[in-house]
Amino acid sequence: MRILVIEDDPDLQRTLAATLREENYAVDTASDGVEGLRKALPATYDAIVLDVMLPRLDGWGVLEALRPTVATPVLMLTARDTVPDRIKGLNLGADDYLTKPFDIDELLARLRALIRRTTGQTSSIITIGNIAIDTAARRVTANDNETSLTPREYTLLEYLALHRGELVTRATLYEHLYDEDDDSLSNLLDVHVSNLRKKLGHELITTRRGHGYSIE
Amino acid sequence: MSSLLHSIRWRIQVWHGIILLVAIGAFCVTAYHFAWDHQMRRLDRELRDVERLLIRTLMEYGRKPGEAPVPPDQLTQSLRAHEITLPPAVAAQFTGVNYYTLRDADGTPLLQSTNLPADITQLPVPKDGVTEEFRSIGNRRESLRANARGFSSVFGRDISREISDMHNLGWLLAASGLGVWVFGLLGGWWLAGRAIKPIDNISRTASRIAEGNLAERIDTSGNDSELDQLAHLLNQTFERLNNSFERQRRFSADASHELRTPVAVLIAETQRVLKRERTTDEYKDTLLTCQNNAERMRHLIEALLTLSRQEAAGNQTEHQPCDLADILRDTLVQVQPLATERAIRIETDLQPAPIHGDAAALSVLTANLVRNALQHQPAGAPDALMRVTTRREGDRVIVSVTDHGPGIAAEDLPHIFERFYRADKARTGGTGHTGLGLAIAQTIAQNHGGTITVTSTPGNGANFTVNLPAST
Repeated sequence: MRILVIEDDPDLQRTLAATLREENYAVDTASDGVEGLRKALPATYDAIVLDVMLPRLDGWGVLEALRPTVATPVLMLTARDTVPDRIKGLNLGADDYLTKPFDIDELLARLRALIRRTTGQTSSIITIGNIAIDTAARRVTANDNETSLTPREYTLLEYLALHRGELVTRATLYEHLYDEDDDSLSNLLDVHVSNLRKKLGHELITTRRGHGYSIE
Repeated sequence: MSSLLHSIRWRIQVWHGIILLVAIGAFCVTAYHFAWDHQMRRLDRELRDVERLLIRTLMEYGRKPGEAPVPPDQLTQSLRAHEITLPPAVAAQFTGVNYYTLRDADGTPLLQSTNLPADITQLPVPKDGVTEEFRSIGNRRESLRANARGFSSVFGRDISREISDMHNLGWLLAASGLGVWVFGLLGGWWLAGRAIKPIDNISRTASRIAEGNLAERIDTSGNDSELDQLAHLLNQTFERLNNSFERQRRFSADASHELRTPVAVLIAETQRVLKRERTTDEYKDTLLTCQNNAERMRHLIEALLTLSRQEAAGNQTEHQPCDLADILRDTLVQVQPLATERAIRIETDLQPAPIHGDAAALSVLTANLVRNALQHQPAGAPDALMRVTTRREGDRVIVSVTDHGPGIAAEDLPHIFERFYRADKARTGGTGHTGLGLAIAQTIAQNHGGTITVTSTPGNGANFTVNLPAST
């Protein structure tokens, strides 16, 4: 899961990014509305955390420019907490609203819910055969036995499970699982896929040669 | 019911009713009195007429042509001597309502009409001359006369018809007076309603405003009456209230916004770090971030307090004589570390600028201006230069702070004294930059009856000029 954080306060931006990375999200940041919009427009993010008071272009402006084409779920994060402000944000196409100061656990839960909703999932636990993926606790059980996965393996499994039945290309996986600064060797997809197969069973992930992967 | 009796309309109506009743009553009584008087005078004149007719007839009685008429003083003898039969035309005068009696000194009737009432009294015979009198007895009006020679006369008239006419007139007056009164009451009710209507309008609007609709105003489209003036006055008051509420609301919204971000950082950062064990360096980083944001909040709170104190101070501040040049010298000593850190040279020309003011507040003003200039000067440029001057111009003192920074964009110029307005938009997140410094400076200048003006050419620095009244 890749998330864009558009926040102009450097401390808050750093804290948000660190929090999300510790939850194994791939995180990119933008410090003003124009930069944020530029990054958000290719629609490679699974969610956007958007501040309202931004230099150059405010959060509402970003939302307005984004919405005709980009359906990425947006969580507005702002110090404005009046009802008209919240209504304005939601009417412009925000999917959720959180006022500063906030609890990071609430922020994470709301982000998970947003991502789940856009992929059509209703529950935070995804079951595939005898495998259950608890997206809230980031835990995977196979036949009721907990299986330990590395963060990379878990995010890959979660992404494929959330897009169950779809063919997910390698490019999409690279876009959604790794942030723009990530060039480590650990993004070798094939290694993670074969590790997942070893841990959870060979038939779980189908490889379509030259196209990508899918979970049926 | 009690509210009805307390309503102004009702009270006006009650007083109006009482006053109108008294006025109409007084008018009716006076009119009746005049009419009665007039009637009596007319009756008296008529009595005199018939009296004169009878006396003349008696004086002419039995006169041969060429003979002189009987003189008045011999009339009594003439009456005593002869039996007189009045001509029918004259006698006819005394058959209806008129009657008369002519009497001798002892009360013996000399001549009288047949319809004379029984209870006739005559005037006593005077010592000399003549006495005469009109009197009303029951429903009769009489003209009485007596002279020293013993002759007395009573001419009277039954006036029951006139009295009944007067009674009718009285009733008519009472009825029409009542009618006028009722009409006046109705008119008064209408008038009071009309007079009250603007007040009603005002009170209704005022109560709507009190309910929280501060933007509403009383309709003042009427003429320039006292109530319109009141409405204007109230509208001005509402306007001021609304403005101050609006300012207060925006200010608290801005202040809470400015405080929320550092609090959000504190909460999010501590929650994140406490989720698991960290290395010492990570804890140190987090503590530094927290310290940084706590400092931010401290500066903001201090600035907010300064601002609210300055606003509350108004003109009641304790002002004493001081010199802006001295104040600026102290300020420059205070900001020297910042200037050194940013490698900015400060050029000064501090001429005496005596002023009657609050020295502590004025030093906040100058410090804010100088700090603002220092912060907007690019750090470390080799030729970085700032100029601070004070001087006296007539009855004004001028403080001028000029920097050679990037200047202020034209669209920002009108707003830079607004609270929390940041021309550069990018928040430094650092300390001491609250977005309130210039607002505080302006409030202080205004408290001293002065102004701050700013001029700037983008790319060529900015100049802030404080203009304050000099002490005499």
